Amino acid sequence: MLIELKNIHKTYDNGQPLHVLKGIDLQIEKGEFVSIMGASGSGKSTLLNILGILDNYDEGEYHLAGKLIKNLSEREGATYRNQMIGFVFQSFNLIGFKTAVENVELPLFYQGVNRHRRHEAAMAYLEKMGLTGWAGHYPNEMSGGQKQRVAIARALITHPEIILADEPTGALDSKTSVEVMDLLTRLNREDGVTIIVVTHESGVANCADKIVHIKDGLIEKIEDNRAHHSSVFGTDTIMK
Amino acid sequence: MRDLLQEIWESLRRNKVRTCLTGLAVAWGIFMLIVLLGAGNGLLNAFMNDSDNFASNTMKVYGGYTSKPYDGLKQDRRIRITDKDAGLLRQPPFSEKVDVISETLVRSGYTMTYGRRYFTNVSLNATFPGDAEMNRVQMVAGRFINDKDIQDKRKVIIITHLHAKNFLAGGTDYDRLVGDKVKVGDLSFTIIGVRHGEENTDDRELYVPYTTLKSIFGLNDEVDAITFSFHGLTTQAESDAFENQVRTAFNTAHRAAPDDSRAVWIWNRFSQNLQMEKGTGILMTALWIIGLFTLVSGIVGVSNIMLITVKERTHEFGIRKALGAKPGNILKLIVAESVLITAFFGYIGMLLGMVACEILDATVGQSKVELFGQSIKMLDNPTVGLGTALGATVVLIVAGTIAGIFPARQAAKVKPIEALRAE
Repeated sequence: MLIELKNIHKTYDNGQPLHVLKGIDLQIEKGEFVSIMGASGSGKSTLLNILGILDNYDEGEYHLAGKLIKNLSEREGATYRNQMIGFVFQSFNLIGFKTAVENVELPLFYQGVNRHRRHEAAMAYLEKMGLTGWAGHYPNEMSGGQKQRVAIARALITHPEIILADEPTGALDSKTSVEVMDLLTRLNREDGVTIIVVTHESGVANCADKIVHIKDGLIEKIEDNRAHHSSVFGTDTIMK
Repeated sequence: MRDLLQEIWESLRRNKVRTCLTGLAVAWGIFMLIVLLGAGNGLLNAFMNDSDNFASNTMKVYGGYTSKPYDGLKQDRRIRITDKDAGLLRQPPFSEKVDVISETLVRSGYTMTYGRRYFTNVSLNATFPGDAEMNRVQMVAGRFINDKDIQDKRKVIIITHLHAKNFLAGGTDYDRLVGDKVKVGDLSFTIIGVRHGEENTDDRELYVPYTTLKSIFGLNDEVDAITFSFHGLTTQAESDAFENQVRTAFNTAHRAAPDDSRAVWIWNRFSQNLQMEKGTGILMTALWIIGLFTLVSGIVGVSNIMLITVKERTHEFGIRKALGAKPGNILKLIVAESVLITAFFGYIGMLLGMVACEILDATVGQSKVELFGQSIKMLDNPTVGLGTALGATVVLIVAGTIAGIFPARQAAKVKPIEALRAE
């Protein structure tokens, strides 16, 4: 079992306590393609932050690749994030004053990999994303789809256990959205990368093999979607 | 290291104007520090020019008048120092500390003639070979008085280069005068050496062997002063104790009250030197403090700018942390940037400060002012040494670190979720 969540509770306390996660139990196997769906305020972002070791939880247990992720120091958290998790964000979160290849290199920089090997690995991943010619360009010179592919290359470069994608198509048009989701699907099918996509768009969620529906801080249902007919882009959906 | 520098360069490149303005404050601070210290050095050098003229581990004893009655004798009695007093210093307890003893007799009001040139109202200073070292006599030609001169009561004389220049009609080939005769009063002396005479002062004494003068004038055992050098003293207290010991011995020998401070006059150059060093230390410390305070405003500026930078880059730090940057990585990045800005602009300031010191040396340093009838330099060599430059480097690095540490801690505390949310 790659990911094992047992009775995860999380309460935010900003003035008055807000119980966001009310006991989440979830298991994800290596090589799965899972989407987490839910309306805004359902707690799916909080769940993603906990899965990504960006936030801690109050109760329960979270095991990632056999390691208990609980009460980590900042240093340990940073090391685990660096080695086990690849992030893909809605707004790409590339560093504006670094070129595409420098952005992709960054996680390896924090692993202490030397310049030369870092650069080679980053170029290899950019090639895989079909962006070799864009390696020296800055993010503001690229299209949204290209930026997201750079971000995916950056997420993959450390060979993480999981790729966490938070609304990966949120800032893209529908055509580019399809391309990006196809890319993620291919990575899952061909390279066996475990992918978790958080979204509120059913079209995006439909790409996954398993859809976890979250409502009011609890898992409403887990849908087997290997047939991919839950809903399609453009039909029966709030998709653009 | 190269990666770190590249990161900093990228960051600075984006904020050129801001970085330069901040740097200006630091450069100004260190510039002021260097100029202040340079000017301070110049002032001290000008003041202390004089004190280099004698060895600091010496005392000079003159006769005085008793200030109180003692042993049946009334006060205001004149004390005359004699050869026997010099003998006191050769016996315990003084013999173990005292190195060289020289007695001095001065007779003034003579006219010195060399060919058709002459000087009126010159003084003959009868002394011993040891005087050369204790009074730092600098010979520019020939030699100083030696033991043989004393033993044979030779009629030899040391003149100053100022006399010599006159005798040579402005020439500086002083060696030519060695061996020539001069007349002092009715007596003929052979010039054996030319010494450097301090310009702008009344340093014009002619040195002759002690025994020569004594035999010529048929003087008794009276001397004008006894100068002696000593060793083994380090503190002011030791110096005072030794001075008192000497005073007590002299006073006792002359039947004056042991604690009578006016029966003999003691010029304790060692004590004087200690006090001078202390004064110098205080002045330099004060200058450092003023300079550092000027620098502080620059440092606060850097710190301020780094805080703004950190604020602006919160989102970026969030990304870095999500990708695996440890708090230490971020801390290092900001502190290094701060140190680099401070050191780079600090060095520019230091360089300009040194240039300013050189300009000061070339202008004010060459001018002289009239004071008490003597013309003295206002500043002598107003520059800073390598030690100060190294000190300032350390100050810059420490200052840069201090300026960076607060903003850096702020940056290291950035929470990735909050930073990534703030778009």
